[in-house]
Amino acid sequence: MTKVDQFESVFRAADKTPFRYRPVDVESVLVVSDRPESEARDYGERVRSFLGALDRGENVRWQTVHGGQFDSVPDLLELVERERPGLVCTYRHLHSESWQWPYTLGEYIDVLTQATTTPVLVLPHPNRPPERAITDTDRVVAMTDHLVGDDRLVNWAARVTANGGRLALANVEDEVTFARFIDVIAKIPSIDTDGAREGIRDRLVRDAHDYIASCVRGLAEAGLPLEVVEVLAHGHHLAEYLRIVEEHDADLLVMNTKDEDQLAMHGLAYPLAIEVRSIPLLLL
Amino acid sequence: MMRLPQGASTAAQAVEHAVPHVDTGVTILFALILVTMVSCLALEEKLHAKKSLIVGLFAVLCLLLGAVLLPLPFGPYLVGGHEIAMPVYIPAVDWGVITIILGASLFVDVTSRSGLFTWIAIRLTKGSGGDPYRLLWLYGLMTVGFSAVLNNVTAMIIVGSLTAVSLERLDRRDKLLGFLLVEGLLTNIGGLLTLISSVPNIIVGTAAGISFVSFFVRASPFVAVATVVTILMGARIFGIRGLTDEAERAESLRLVSGFDENDGIESQPFFWFSAAMLVLFIIAIATTSVMPFVSELGMGFVALGFALVMLIRYKHEVDQFYRTIDWDLLGFFGALFIVINVMEHAQVLALIGVGLERVIGLGPTLGTGVMMVSTSAFSAVTDNIPLAAMLAKIITAMPTPDGLVRAPTDPLWWALIFGANLGGNLTPIGSASTLVAVTIIHKQGLGLTFMDFVRKALPFALVQIALAAVYVLWIL
Repeated sequence: MTKVDQFESVFRAADKTPFRYRPVDVESVLVVSDRPESEARDYGERVRSFLGALDRGENVRWQTVHGGQFDSVPDLLELVERERPGLVCTYRHLHSESWQWPYTLGEYIDVLTQATTTPVLVLPHPNRPPERAITDTDRVVAMTDHLVGDDRLVNWAARVTANGGRLALANVEDEVTFARFIDVIAKIPSIDTDGAREGIRDRLVRDAHDYIASCVRGLAEAGLPLEVVEVLAHGHHLAEYLRIVEEHDADLLVMNTKDEDQLAMHGLAYPLAIEVRSIPLLLL
Repeated sequence: MMRLPQGASTAAQAVEHAVPHVDTGVTILFALILVTMVSCLALEEKLHAKKSLIVGLFAVLCLLLGAVLLPLPFGPYLVGGHEIAMPVYIPAVDWGVITIILGASLFVDVTSRSGLFTWIAIRLTKGSGGDPYRLLWLYGLMTVGFSAVLNNVTAMIIVGSLTAVSLERLDRRDKLLGFLLVEGLLTNIGGLLTLISSVPNIIVGTAAGISFVSFFVRASPFVAVATVVTILMGARIFGIRGLTDEAERAESLRLVSGFDENDGIESQPFFWFSAAMLVLFIIAIATTSVMPFVSELGMGFVALGFALVMLIRYKHEVDQFYRTIDWDLLGFFGALFIVINVMEHAQVLALIGVGLERVIGLGPTLGTGVMMVSTSAFSAVTDNIPLAAMLAKIITAMPTPDGLVRAPTDPLWWALIFGANLGGNLTPIGSASTLVAVTIIHKQGLGLTFMDFVRKALPFALVQIALAAVYVLWIL
């Protein structure tokens, strides 16, 4: 039986999850602002300039919603439902005074990101001077704790990376969870703890590495003009995420937020969305 | 008078030398012990006891009773003109067979660490393009090839594990049961291809003096036909068809292309060294009987020698390979040879030989045919190894009507070899490899009872045994 397990493990390890490139189709973008019409229009233009990569070879319909067009969360949801955009762009603390306090995204954004299936680009609040200029998407970071097989995340990240830009695909394994399992393994006499620690760590890294290599091949075959770099890390999730964002001087962070099992944002997405305030976030 | 085959000396001497008288009651007592032991082996799963322990306990009982009731030939023994003192159970063991099994399994274990077998398996998977029908053919041929070169159990483990993973990847788990059953049945076909492919082959082939090359030449036509027939039957019975839709074909190709055959290779130099050593191993085993000096040392020496050379790569961690040795199997063999040796002295083998002579007396066709069918039937319900070991010893001591030792080409040997191997396909407990197939089936969460297996395997086994009968009786 041990040998059956051994060979099955060898074959499962050899069975790589290949990346599948699927062009992300964004026909229209809805920019939502709580400002008066003219300011909103200007804001919409800035966002369009920032997301110049979206216009790559396609006719994207851009629409801007100003503050006078909605005054409640249900109104906003109805608006989004009516327009059915491919992407919603807005900012933190929409229609909220809480922008002075960095503890939430504001109720509009909280609900919007969870109640619709449409990806939401969350930018810093216009009243808060950005720590860095928000001009383009030359350096995009797509980050998750389980990148293998997440084609959607990679395809979206590739879609919003500017021509000639650099896309960092980051897989961050949580050291706390890892240590917890190793602690349990250390209490099981039949498992070699050092071997398990080394084996599991190597496997996690190798799987992510192989998938990213597959992404590099897939995106190159699709002819996308961007450079893909690999980021493999272990550490405390939030601290590691912040470190990577800083280290890669990211213009945009792309991450998953939906969780089938809960109403709140997926895993660390919410704390991360709160902490990473200086750059725009694309929440899928 | 032809030269006595290796391993036949003891039995032949038993015929030549006057055997001390043994009371009929004592013979019957030991015969009952033998029947009980075989029954316990058949109920191994129910008893939750390993073969080595079951037979080991019977060996202890036989030796104790033998020391009291039988004239056992306690030493000293004459070896090369020198008197050597050793316990009676040491010369009882056929160390040639033990060393072949030990050496070959060690060699295969170390070689498999190079990633060679998984590399071959994954290349074939990718070569199929993910088409189920082509996959069945390639996996079927791979099963036969691996069974022939490695051993049935290792072949089933490798191919069965890969089948489970690849069909899951292709989203065709509905075909998994059919694939695993066909592969399980093919291990016993592939196990007929060479002298070292299965334990009954080693035991009977050694007793009969059949060389590796002669075994291969005689067995391969049957193996080729039986393989094709089994795969065609499997495809039909389990509804495994090729893909006709172009989109489906493209998707399957994409899915299998995700397999990386190089993932399991830790070192390229060791991979190529292993490939070269495997080829050399097959050549060396095939030519042992004609190689000067080496022929005297035997195939066990060759197998152990190759295993030790391979172990150099892991010189600091050889103990991990020693731990993977199937000590249960080796202990089982050792104990089994002791039991059979005691049975020989108790005249139990002579008693069975009388019955066997009546079967053989039915004529060259009917007698040999009955022998093959009855060997298959016994192999289906109990372990084919003790059966092969016992019958090989009896047939060795049974001269031809002309009073000569049976030639390696004698159909009786081949009836025993084919019957002992193919009988394993009748039930899930008939052979170790079908048992592994059932284990993988259960591990994959597929329900298959003992009777389910018999119902599904019976058409295959009957066709294979019928083909073998025709081949041995009229073609061989």
